Parts: sequence; C-alpha cells; structure tokens
Amino acid sequence: MIIFRIAWRNIWRHKVRSSIVMFAVTVGLFGGLASTAIMKGMVMDMVKNNIENEVSDIQIHNPKYPANNEIRYVIQNSSQVMDSIKKVDGVKAVCERTKIQGMASTASKATGVIVIGVEPELEKKVTGIYRCLTDSAGTYFASKHRNRMLISEKLAKELKVKIRSKVVITFQDFDGNLTGASFKVEGIFKTQNDLFDKQNVFVRKSDLDRILDMPPNSAHEIAILLNSNDETYTVLPVIKKMFPQYLIEGWFDINPYLEMSTSMTKYMLLIFMSIIMLALGFVIVNTMLMVVLERTRELGMVMAIGMNKKKVFKMIFYETSILGSVGALLGIVVSALFAWYFGNNGLDITSFSKGFETFGYSTVIHPILETSDYIEVIVMVFFTGLIASIFPTIRALKMKPEEAIRE
Amino acid sequence: MKKETKASSPLRGDKRGAPVIIEVRGLHKTYTETEVEVKAINGIDLSFEEGEFTAIVGPSGCGKTTFLNMIGGLDVPTSGKVFINGTDISTFSSSKMIDFRLNNIGFVFQAYNLIPVLTAKENAEFIMQLQGRPKAERDKRIAELFEAIGIAGKENIKPSRLSGGQQQRVAVARALASKPKFILADEPTANLDSKATAELLDIMHELNRQEKVTFIFSTHDKRVIERAERIITLEDGKVVSDIIVNI
Repeated sequence: MIIFRIAWRNIWRHKVRSSIVMFAVTVGLFGGLASTAIMKGMVMDMVKNNIENEVSDIQIHNPKYPANNEIRYVIQNSSQVMDSIKKVDGVKAVCERTKIQGMASTASKATGVIVIGVEPELEKKVTGIYRCLTDSAGTYFASKHRNRMLISEKLAKELKVKIRSKVVITFQDFDGNLTGASFKVEGIFKTQNDLFDKQNVFVRKSDLDRILDMPPNSAHEIAILLNSNDETYTVLPVIKKMFPQYLIEGWFDINPYLEMSTSMTKYMLLIFMSIIMLALGFVIVNTMLMVVLERTRELGMVMAIGMNKKKVFKMIFYETSILGSVGALLGIVVSALFAWYFGNNGLDITSFSKGFETFGYSTVIHPILETSDYIEVIVMVFFTGLIASIFPTIRALKMKPEEAIRE
Repeated sequence: MKKETKASSPLRGDKRGAPVIIEVRGLHKTYTETEVEVKAINGIDLSFEEGEFTAIVGPSGCGKTTFLNMIGGLDVPTSGKVFINGTDISTFSSSKMIDFRLNNIGFVFQAYNLIPVLTAKENAEFIMQLQGRPKAERDKRIAELFEAIGIAGKENIKPSRLSGGQQQRVAVARALASKPKFILADEPTANLDSKATAELLDIMHELNRQEKVTFIFSTHDKRVIERAERIITLEDGKVVSDIIVNI
C-alpha cells in the first residue's frame, strides 16, 4: 500500500508533465478507439446492408447454376423446399427467386442487367429493397398490372427512364430461344451499393416465369433470413444436411469480401492500438527515465534502507501504470461517449466521402465499440505499462545505493 | 572528566563488555575504476559492541564513508570479512543484503534523504511498512519515538515544511523505528546549526542509552566527537587510533 501511495503522490510532483503524458494517452487512445469504431461501423453497416438487401444469410442454388447462371439449372419443388426450411430453428423468413441475365434497353441506351423475379410479399420479409424506394411516386409492386419493374436510381439515369417509363428486357427463355418483354417502371430504388444498383432490376417472379416458360414450382435461388446473422454458422449445416443435392452457402461463402471485412474489423483495433500503444510506450518510457534520473538519490536511499528490487519495480510499475491508466480511462470514457452519441445519431460524412457508395459503404456511419474492444484496450494498456516499466526499473536497479545517495 | 584509553591491537572497544555485533577482519577496498588505483580501505580490523556510541573520524578521503558502507552492506570489500552478529555478510547476494539491511541496520544520512511525498510519520514508519509490521505496532512505535525526539505534533507535515533539524530527527526516527541492531550515521550533523546539532546529539545519546542501540558515526564535526564514547581515527584507509572515552 505504501508503495502505491508513494507512486501516486510521485505522479503529482510534476503536475504539468504528468498531465501532458496522461493527455497524450487520452488523445492516442481516443484516436485509436474512435478510428476503430468508425471503421467497424462502416464495415458492419456495409455487411448488414449487403445481407439485408442482397445476399441474405443463406442462399440455395442448383449446384450447376452459379458457374454460368444458366436458366435451366433450377431448384425443383421450390415451395416444398421453402416449407421445410421455414421449420428449421433460427429461420425467420424464406423467399424464392428466378434470376437471369438480360439486356435492358430504352430508346436512348441498352445495358446488361440481372433480372430478379421475386414474390413481392415473401421478398419483403427477407430483403429490404422495398425500404429503398427513393421516388415518392414509386411503389413496391403495388400495381395489379403485369410486367412491372423496380429499377435503381443509377440505372434509371443511365437508361433515362422514370416512373411509368417502359424498358424492354431481352433474354433467353428456358428452351434457349431469344425472347423479351416490355416492363413499366413502378419504383426506383437506391441501396448503399452502387455496383448492386447498376446491375440489378426487380420484376414479379410470376411475370418472369411466364415469359421464360419456367417449369412450375421451380426457382433459381432460395434466400433465407435468420433471426440473427450470427446463427448462420449453426443453421447452415442443418440445411445442408436436409438438402445435400443443392448448393447451400452462407453469406460469407457468397460474398467472401464481407467475411474478409468482418474479420478485418476484429484485428483493426489490435493493429491501430498496437501502433498507438507503441508510440505512447516510448513517451511513457522517456518520462519514467527522466523520473528515475531525477530521483537517483531518493531511489538510492530507499534501496539502501532495504527496499528490495521487487518493490522498486512495483513502485516504477505503479507510476507507469497510473500515467497510462488515468489517460486510458479518460480516453475510454471519451471514446465510449463518441461511440454512443454517433452510434445513435449517425456520423454524416457525405461531404467528404464521394465514391464510398461505389464500394457499398454508407455515408452515414454508426460507430461501434463492443465490450471486448474496451477489454482489449485495457489489457494493452496494462502490458504497455508493464513493458514500459522494465527499462526504467533496470536503470534504477543498476544504481549503486551508496553512489546514488551522494548524487 | 574524561579518561582516555588506547586499545591494544586488534583494536577493540570493550567499554561495557557487551556482545560484539560487528567485527571486521583484514578489510581492504581498492577502487580500480580510474587510472590510478585507490586503496580506500587498507587493512582494517575492528569490532563494535552492542550499545556503543562511536565516532569514526579522519580527514576527507581517509575512508570513513567507505568503511561505513562496508559494515552497512552497501559496498563489498575487495578482501577481508565483515561479520554482523557472527554472520559473514560479505558473501551475501545483493537481494539477501537488501533484506539484511532492512532488518538489521538503520541509516542516517547527511542530507536527511526523507521521501518528499510522504509525511513525517509516513517517512518514519516506512521501514516498518517494508517489513510488513502491523499498523497498530507502527502507530505505537512512531508515537513513542516522535515524543522522545521532540517532534510530536509534526506527524502529518511533509519534509519540505520541516526545518533541517526536524528533518534529521525524522530520519533518526526512521532509522530507529524498526529497532535495528545498529545505526550508521554518515555526517548526520553536517547540515545542521549548533542548536539543532546539540539537540539531535542529545536525542541520539538518550536513545542509545534507553534502547541500547549501537550508533556509529562518520564525522568531521567536533561537537559529535566530543559526545562520542569511542573515537576511531582513520588515515589513508587505516586505523591510526581507537580511543575509548569514559565520560
């Protein structure tokens, strides 16, 4: 206790110097934690949007379909498959899709697109496209008329169409014949992924199946939404076991970039903080070396009267840790407030984030800091303190008490 | 009236016939760090008995402090042996030596060397705390000592707000608190005025008598020499006289 008391009071012998070091730790930690929180928020938003609007948690395909997206490789008895999947624990909603490649053309331009035939109400339960309509005049398959389509804002601009404009889509039917149909734009959507928006248009599955002459009760894709994203790892094997004849993939298999981004966030804090703690470690070591040098006589005296090496190390370690942990505590509190405030209200970086959406990132970020992040930082601060204590302690213990007293 | 007795060789203090607590045999210390070899201690044989009040005197550079460092386990002899209560401490490892100093030796330094961030009481009980003595025991001992050395009421004052004499009293209290076998005081009065010196010497003499603690001073100060009961004079690292003074 006396050792801690000495260490604590020693810190305040040089209030300005100690405060500067603590402030540096606070700023460093806040910098690291805030950057991590922003990156995490960006990535998690992207992953969430991707899963919600595009890939879902799990997808089922005919094993031969993904190679060339050939129309004939379908999932047969798709409604029975869906019924079975709905009964699996953890499954929230299931929908089926017909998905083909085609050419969308208007009077001014033609472009290649992926035409996704959806069952509007089922799709609504699985993906969030219906929430992404931008034009107030548009609707999400509310019209009872045939051949309606949803097109992205980006594509609409490119094709120069608006609500109620007609777009001709041509594609090969089930028998390989070139066919086509005219679709009227019913809604215009915008997700946070420009690439997705440029490539995909949505139509009713019933319309597409009819034009393609698809076999009844078949689909190219079944998308599954789970109660929680994390459950993918447990539900996936169950469904795989149920339908070994199909290709069943989790979101991380379908879009490995998402998996990579998610795992990257786990190491981001470690990388950021390691660099920051290394720099702060040097600041603390430098300060503590000064402290040892200034207190040569005092240290010599305490060693002379019987303070052993362990206690000398303890004293220096406590001082180092106090310098680090007071700053760290403030840094953590400020970071937590930052993450809490902007996590709830969003951090709008629209003005300096042109191009973010091209890569699927949102321009309103919700920073995320988890309990494990704080624990990681606390552990790192502890070890930085421990390591930063070693060098000054070695210097202190190298002193000969009888010489140090005479300094 | 003082009666002076010259001790025979090997020089021994036998004022009271008390048990010997420090004994040095063939002590040499040679410094070779500089180009010129310096023989700081050049063959000393001495012993000190329990309850002595001894001054080691001599000109600057005669080896007083080096000798004190040897018997205090702060420095290692080049050759020779130092026995404390019959144990040869010159063979101790540095860690064992630190523990030994903690439990057996009290130090009083010229520049007081109190810990500036601790109060007078905390400074005085510091060694007892390092020894892990319980609070009640510490409180009782410090109260007794502060009363005895005349600084009762100054317990919660930091060293920077105490006079030099008061600081040195606290240093004496710190040295005595854990009841060591002997106290080594290196020029303890060098920074004090006459009044403070006289008071401090009175206190140390009184404690020497009451607590039977051995005091060994290294000093230039005539006032200390006058109060010493044994005066050992060193020159060029050798004992040139060892006088028992019967007061």
